[in-house]
Order: sequence, then structure tokens, then C-alpha cells
Amino acid sequence: MGPFIKDKNTTKKMMNHLLIALTPIIIFSFIKNGFIPYKKGYTNIVGLFYPLIFIGISTLSTFIFETIFKLIRTKNIKEALKNTYSIFPGLFLGLILPINTPIGILILGSLVSSIIAKMLFGGFGKNIFNPALVGRLFIISVFASTIMSKGGYLNPYELDAITQSTPLTNASVITGIGNYETLVRPYGRLLNIFIGNIPGAVGETSALLCLLAFIYLTYFKVIKWKIPVTYILTVFSITYVIGGSNDLGIWYPLFQIFSGGLMFGAVFMATDPVTSPVTPIGQILYGLFLGILTVIFRYLTPFPEGVLTSILTMNMFVMILDKIGSIGRFNFKIALIPFIVAWLLIIGLSFGIAVTLNKTEEIDPNFSILSKEINQNKTTYIVTQKGYSSTLKGQIIIENGNIEEFKILDQNDSFYSKIEENNYIEKLKENNEIDTVSGATITSTALKNMIKNTLNDYKTGKKENIINEEATKEPKPTFEIISETQIDEATKEYIIKNKGFSGDIKLKVTLTNNQIKEISVLEQNDSYFHMLEENNYINTIIENQSNIKEIDTISGATYSSKGVKEGIIKLLEQVGVINEQI
Amino acid sequence: MITGLKIPTCKKMSIKEKIGVYNKMKYVYIPLISGNDTNITISVKKGDYVYKGSIVGKRKGNFRIPIHSSVSGTVVDYEEKYTSNGRKVKCIVIENDFLDAIEKEYVNNDITKYTKKEFLKTIQDCGIIGCGGSGFPTYIKYNIDKKIHTLIINAVECEPYITADYVLFREKCEEILEAIDAIREINNIDEAIIAIKEYNTELKEIIDNYIGTYLKIKVVLVPDLYPMGWEKSLVKYIKKTDYERLPMEKGIIVNNVSTIYAIYEALKYHKPLTERIVTFTGTNLKRPQNVMVKLGTSASEIIKKVGGLNKKNATFVAGGPMMGNSIPTDDIIININDNCILVLDEIKESIEQACMRCGKCVENCPAKLSPVLINESLKTPEKLKKLEPMRCVECGLCSYICPAKINLREKVRLAKQELRKEN
Repeated sequence: MGPFIKDKNTTKKMMNHLLIALTPIIIFSFIKNGFIPYKKGYTNIVGLFYPLIFIGISTLSTFIFETIFKLIRTKNIKEALKNTYSIFPGLFLGLILPINTPIGILILGSLVSSIIAKMLFGGFGKNIFNPALVGRLFIISVFASTIMSKGGYLNPYELDAITQSTPLTNASVITGIGNYETLVRPYGRLLNIFIGNIPGAVGETSALLCLLAFIYLTYFKVIKWKIPVTYILTVFSITYVIGGSNDLGIWYPLFQIFSGGLMFGAVFMATDPVTSPVTPIGQILYGLFLGILTVIFRYLTPFPEGVLTSILTMNMFVMILDKIGSIGRFNFKIALIPFIVAWLLIIGLSFGIAVTLNKTEEIDPNFSILSKEINQNKTTYIVTQKGYSSTLKGQIIIENGNIEEFKILDQNDSFYSKIEENNYIEKLKENNEIDTVSGATITSTALKNMIKNTLNDYKTGKKENIINEEATKEPKPTFEIISETQIDEATKEYIIKNKGFSGDIKLKVTLTNNQIKEISVLEQNDSYFHMLEENNYINTIIENQSNIKEIDTISGATYSSKGVKEGIIKLLEQVGVINEQI
Repeated sequence: MITGLKIPTCKKMSIKEKIGVYNKMKYVYIPLISGNDTNITISVKKGDYVYKGSIVGKRKGNFRIPIHSSVSGTVVDYEEKYTSNGRKVKCIVIENDFLDAIEKEYVNNDITKYTKKEFLKTIQDCGIIGCGGSGFPTYIKYNIDKKIHTLIINAVECEPYITADYVLFREKCEEILEAIDAIREINNIDEAIIAIKEYNTELKEIIDNYIGTYLKIKVVLVPDLYPMGWEKSLVKYIKKTDYERLPMEKGIIVNNVSTIYAIYEALKYHKPLTERIVTFTGTNLKRPQNVMVKLGTSASEIIKKVGGLNKKNATFVAGGPMMGNSIPTDDIIININDNCILVLDEIKESIEQACMRCGKCVENCPAKLSPVLINESLKTPEKLKKLEPMRCVECGLCSYICPAKINLREKVRLAKQELRKEN
């Protein structure tokens, strides 16, 4: 039966085009997350190839899991090895996860992707939800804290040298809607965000490469281009109105579409043929509602990066959208209602969010006043402001409208040392408009906001004293001797703790005649602590204990090594060893 | 917006040669079928002598279109023969006396001098039916009181490989233009529009040479898309309007160019429709060309005449590669609606892969159907009804474009059958 000529295009060719379009993105991830950190000395040879290993493992995992599944079902090796595009769920999963996802979790996620989300639905072409997204949802909802404690989205270079969060996480801690200085400046220029030289998931940071891939895939008719176009345009339009009514330029909607993996999600995940509508009207509605949901997630929920969640949510509605889309081709009236709903939502969200953001700019939810003491012309504030990984507590004394004194009473931010190195507190006292400290952007922004918010209260707040018990609480010291045990006459065993990179480091130190005999690590949470072991750092300390202050920290694990070294110095100081010997 | 797709044309191989003529067959087999109707009254018996153009049968019921003999000779037998629809049909076997004797010579020098009534009677008596494949009696199209404002001459021929209409137009351009103008005049039609594909610039030049005196005929170049030759697409492109069932609703008549030529011969010579141009082409044919074939001739004789096959194993198709039917043998009888016999290298049924829902079949369907969804709902008639598979014109584009090589047209055909059963 005819037709007796067929188009040369095949499913396999389309999938090959998809692989070609993904190649630059994989290479970019290798350069950004492997090559640059290696070149700058923040990681070793394993770290150089780690992005490729990471993507490779997830890709291989879904291939193996699917093949085994088919083998069990069909009991026929030939049948099991038949190409069912089993690498794709894993490949995409690898690209949309944080680089610091432990390999075990990655493999578990691949299992969920290929078996639960794909094969149990009936295999290639039958699944309702995008397999990679299901795998990611599983990993993030079960293991988020584990992954974040290991450094989350940050590659070794970002962890150690620049330390930022992803642009949208950063945006979510900023007071109000933010501005170019607070949203874009921490990442250099908008161009940097466009190119993708920013923290984010393994392969989804480069909007530029996603755009090129979109052009390539549309030219070769591989993807349903209507979906990404309407999706991105919807987010752009809504954020354009939001930005515009807050006096922000065109950069604001661009910032919104370049960040949070929106481009990657729109071009690669939302167009997954199996889980997206087949009818043109369905595709346009799909794109519109994806845009609407993403805006809702970004602005109205505590989850700033809503792209992948939006796609997973919309997967459920594909059947309905296709029903509307297929009947709507003969009778467009049927499609009118969802279109009207979409337009109303777009208009409502644009202006609704714009207005609420305008109002909330005055009140910063991350700021609170613990105490306020008015004494003639002098007002003493004790205030808190949310910082990077802790709440900053500060004392500000204002006299006749000028800041008389500003000091930080308590903090536990990972990169606070940068603030101290830069003498930033002193500088801020002089001028609240100075640039943030690179490497501790969020902490410095928080400090700036702390002063701004306090001055704001000084000018507009009620002139009465506030007293809160919290204010007088002693800050928790970062260093602590937990226990002290006398072993024999000359030997004492101490258990101490000191701050490391992403948590406390607990050490057991044995002193004999005030000489360090043994140090063992009881507890730590740092991602790169293994570098201490690789560099034999503990032994270096024991061997050079007389010159302990001169020992270098380890690049690539600066904070972990610093934590160990300084903890021991503090112990030696407290038991009086350092004074005796040096 | 016109939905369609650029597909390979494969027309070069048969376009150069002049129209060949074949009339050496010893027997012709006149199929007793009209449209899809085999309910025919036979008006001759064994041993009768028939002239070329004598009526041998007539359709019963409404559309009374006569069936004519295509040669002169003696009725010798009845025999079941394959026709292009893949079924065996009863045929009248006439032994050719090679005289081409006709009952009564007739020439009309001014073919515009017909009244509408005479016109309708002539084309009905001459058995003129749509030569583009529909087989719809032409006189019925014209037999209406409504004002016809536009006549569209369909010379788009968007099926790959087929060049029958093209070479006919090229070689009989003068006659065709004369007929168009006569039809326009007789039926009081405001304008006539000839639709040809945009790449046919050569043909456009030929038409432009003759068109000078015909002020109310114009040529429109249509985009190289498949299925641009579908009436609905054509009317939409040229007149920017949609119709429900027939173009007549909007005062438009669409005729194939071969039909126009048949009308010309009917008006000029009262010559019944007993022969037509058939494209014999395909990769497995030695000398592809167009041949003027007397209806009732077996295709295998002509294939031999045009040099035979390149390879022994071949796939025979009656019609174009998109909409044609595969036929088990080349021994089929050529009838009015056969415009092409396609001989290809043997095609093995390709294995259907899993559908990945790329949506290409939906995107490209000129009838705005959603073949993938129809395929998914084959077992649920309620859903199927809403997807309106009855709108399908079986152009085959969905099967052509499918990257998983799923024969979606067959699925839609199944859906149609399913719904017919329901009713």
C-alpha cells in the first residue's frame, strides 16, 4: 500500500540531530565546570573531566537499566539491544542536575528516569511525563539538602573563588524586585548570563548555545518550534511589564529569560516530542501556560527556578490540549476559552506582580529590628539581616542621622572572611553605595541592606524603644572545646570543633607534653575535604607544629584547611602552648 | 494559509518525449464500471459489430453516463479483468479490426455556438467524466441554475512522476484554450483561471503564446506544494475562499485539463471519451513516456512497447506514488481515471516504528486532521467521531512524512470504515 515514496527523514535522524545540537552544550559544560577550574588550580585531573564523567554516567545508566528491563521482559538479547533511544533520559538528566549531585544519587535518579518514568509507561513514545524531569524531581525532593551541603550548583572554581548562588536564588534574597546592580552586576554583565558563565545546573546555563540549538533544530524540523517561541515570549512579556512598571530597563525581561535554565528547558525539555502536544493549537497553548506557570513559580512561590517544574506540570495537560487542538482546527471557537484564560492570566500576572512588588519594596522581609534604644540624639539598633548561609546580626549606632558605629555581632556566612579581608564594614560606614565584595556578593549586599533598612527605620519608624531578648543573647562561638580528657600524666585528649566550609569540623587532638601527637577528623561536611587527605595536610600540621601559623592553606579547599588549621591554633592558644613555645 | 509540503517531483524522466500512440492491441477490454458503480446495463451482445464510439453500456440509476467502445470491431466475449482499483471487473472483449471506423463524421467549426442545453447533452452523451481521478460526471457540475463566476482549470498535477496533463497542455495548447473559452462563453462564466505549478515556466511561455486573444483567461502560478492540486487547496489559494462540499457553493467550477480536452473533442467532433494520455514512468521502466491509450487496453502491452522493465522484480502502481494503488500485476485494463502507470524497483513494506508524537502528520495534513490522534483512538469510536476522519482526502502526506514510517493513511482509512460501521 502506498504512498510509494517516503520522506528521507527518520526518527533516528531526528535523534541524531538532537545529539548534534547538544554537543556544544556538553562541551561548554566541560569548559566551564571542568577545564576552567582545573586551569585555575581549583581542582585536580579528575575534576577536569568530572562534567563529562557525570553526564556519561547518567547516560550509560539509563542505557543499561533500559536494556536490562527489556531483557527481562522479552528474554531476547537482540530485542533488548534494539535502539529505543535509551540514552536520552540519562543524557538530559545529567545536564539538568547540580554538578555536586553524588554519583550514587545520580545513578538512582537514572533508574527512576528510565524504569519508572519511561519503561513502566510502555517504553519509547508512551510515557506521559518527561523521564529526565521525573528523575530530577525525585532527586531534588529526596536529596536536596545532601546535594546543597556538597556545594549544590557551584563548580570547584565557583565554590572557592567567586562563590555566588544562581542568579535567581540571588534575586530571591534581594529586597523587592532588585536592580541592575544587585541582579546582574554580581555576574559581571548581562552578556555573561547570556553566554552562560554563571552558576547553574551542569548543562543549562548557556542561553546563547540553547538559542543556536533552537535555530539548528528548527531548521532541520526536529522540534516543535511553536512551544519554545510562545513559552519564552510569554515569560518575556510578563516580566517586561513587571520590570517596566518598576522602572527597570529591557535588561530585566532578558535577565529573566536568560537565567534559571529557561532557554534550555524551553528548547530541549518542553519540546520533548513524546510528552508535548502534537497539534499546533495545543502547542501554542502549552507554551503560553508554561510561561504563566514559570512566572507564578518564580514570583509567587519559594522556588525561584520554576522551569522544569512547570514543564512537568504541563505534561499532565497534554491530552486535554491536544483534544482542544484537534477539534479546534475545524472549529476554532472551542480553543477560544483556553486562549482567553491564558490572556487573562498573563495580563493579571503582569500587572498584579508589578503592583505588589512596587509596594513590598519598602518592607524587607529579610530584615528585622531586635532592639532600639533612643537616648537623646543617639539611637542604638541591634538588627538582623539574612545573609548567605546565616543571619547576620549587627549593631548600628546613629547619631544625628549619621552612622556613628557599625559592627557585626554574629554571623556564620561561609565567605565572611572576604568581608574582613576587604575591611568592608569600615568602608560601608563611610559610603553605603560602594561595590559589593566579589566572592561574598550576597553577604555584602545583605550588609548594605542592613544599613539601608536601619536608616529607613531611623527616618520613618516610630520613635520608641524596642527591647527583645534575642538582642542580648551571646553569639555562638565558631570555635569550641567540646571535651578534655586526661589520659595519663603527660597526655591530654581534646575534642574541638571549628567552622569549615559548609558546616563544623570536629577534630580529636592528642597532646603529649604540649606536643601534638595525633589529630583525627571526627566529623566534617565539606565537599572538598578529601583534598586535605590527598595533600596529607594533617601530617603537615603535626610535623610543622612549631610554625603552625606559617602553614599554607590548600587551594581548592581553602576553607576546610583553614578551619582545621585555625581550630588547632585556637586550641593551642587556649591551653597556652603557643605562648610557651613561640 | 495553505497547508502542504514540497516533495520531490521526479517528472523529468517522462517529460521530454512526445506523446506516443499505441493502437496495435488485438483486443480491448471495456470495463463495465462507472465511477465505483458496476451496475451497468449492457447494450451489445456477442457477435455484434461496434464502431469506435458506439455505446456498449450505460450506467443505471442517477448519473446516466454511457460507456463507449474505443475501437471498431466485433464483440467476442465477456471477461473478468483487473482494473486499477485492484479488483476484477467484468469487461466487454472487443476484437479490434484496426479500421477505427466511426458511425458518423461530425465537425463543428465554431464550438462556441452551443446553447447550454446542447452543451450539457453533448458532454453527457460523450461520456465526459472527471479525468483527474474523481470520475465525477462533468455534465452534473455544469447542470445548475446558480451563476458560475469562475472556472478553474486544474493543470497543477502535483503528484510526482505524472506528466500526462503537462504534455497534453504542451501539445494541445491551442485546442485547450479554445475549449476553455467556449465553455466560458456557453455557461456565461466571468473568468477562467488556469492553475499551473510555479516551476512550469516553459509551459507558461507556451500558453502565453496563444492566450493573447482570450482576454478572460488568465494563468496563475501556484506554489510547488503537495497537494496543491486538491480542489479545496486550489480554490483557497486562487479565490481565498473555503467551501464545505463542492466548489459550486461559491460559484466556482474546477476542471482538470484532460477533462477540458475531452470536452473539446466532444464539442468539435462529438467524439466520446474513449482514449486518454497515460504516463508510463518509474525508475524500473526502460523508456518512460506519455502514451495516448485507448481505454480498455492492457497496461502490460504498453509497458512492453516502451521498452519493458530494467529489473525483473518490480512494484506496479496505478496512479501516482502518493495516492496510487499498488497492483498485483501489470496486466490491468486502463480506464478513464487512470493517468499513470508507475513501475518502481521492488518496494519492501517498511517496518513501522514506535510513534514519538513529533506531530508532523498533524502539521502537514491539508485537511487539518490529526492522524496521530486518530491512530491512537481507533478503538474508541466516540473519540474518533470528534476527530472527523471523514474529512480525509487520502492524499498520503501523513504516511509520506512520518519519520517512524507508520502508514497513517491506512489508519485513517480504518477509522473511516469504523465510523461507517457505527452509522
